Amino acid sequence: MPKMIFVNLPVADLAKSKAFYEALGFTNEPRFSDETGAAMVWSETIFVMILTHDKWKGFTDRPIAPHGSSEVSLALALDSREEVDAMIEAGAAHGGTADVNPVQDHGFMYGRDLLDPDGHVWGPFWMDAAVANGEQPMPEVAAQ
Amino acid sequence: MPQMIFVNLPVTDLEKSKAFYEAVGAANNPAFTDDTAACMVVEEGSIHVMLLTHEKWATFTSKKIPDAHTTAQVLICVSADSRDAVDGQVDKAVKAGGKADPTPTQDFGGFMYGRSFEDPDGHIWEVMWMDPTAIAAGEPAEANA
Repeated sequence: MPKMIFVNLPVADLAKSKAFYEALGFTNEPRFSDETGAAMVWSETIFVMILTHDKWKGFTDRPIAPHGSSEVSLALALDSREEVDAMIEAGAAHGGTADVNPVQDHGFMYGRDLLDPDGHVWGPFWMDAAVANGEQPMPEVAAQ
Repeated sequence: MPQMIFVNLPVTDLEKSKAFYEAVGAANNPAFTDDTAACMVVEEGSIHVMLLTHEKWATFTSKKIPDAHTTAQVLICVSADSRDAVDGQVDKAVKAGGKADPTPTQDFGGFMYGRSFEDPDGHIWEVMWMDPTAIAAGEPAEANA
């Protein structure tokens, strides 16, 4: 069975975050959602679990890292530059913040970063399939 | 194109982290690896982890890196095929220098079993088995949608 990934994120306002992730193109799975958490489906194997702070505390006693810091950034591969732009715009229109980090535009690759309402970093990106599949070597990326 | 996620994590010692992730079963993809970053494949074509040195990380964001040993911003959970596979994964992590069970074990008998480990930088990974028949049995009827 292919491995599945569940990215668990603490959120301050579950309904707001649910709307945000739906705007990004995730689908809510009601069977694994209640008033303390919501399963947001990206694909058959990729899920985001958004959890209220109270629920989150049941899984770890480590305090949530301070706003403005970043332990992780989550990148989703999309099919085109236009899809990247569309996701960024949809996120920004639903409580997110667009372009918190420099836009990565390298011809064969294009990526923009977005904060969710709680400051979690998402980086939708597009990469030329020939490069992604290894049919062409990855071009050198110039320093920022 | 299949749906792919890349979990980008900052690491203090790239070689050490690369060895750790290989020990827990992720294969290195050399095409996307250099001395500043390593692409580790958890599931070919869908789940990847990008390990980035702090210097490389800083070229992508000006946000500070929190100490993952003392705070947490994310818990990343990956499925396993059996209870034994869950335990095996945690054992491998410990042998490779990781720490076992930073979060409480989730044991719901014959239905679900989850444990966790932390990588050398404190990032928490959960490993979870769920009974596939239990998942399937919960499939909602169209009428309930």
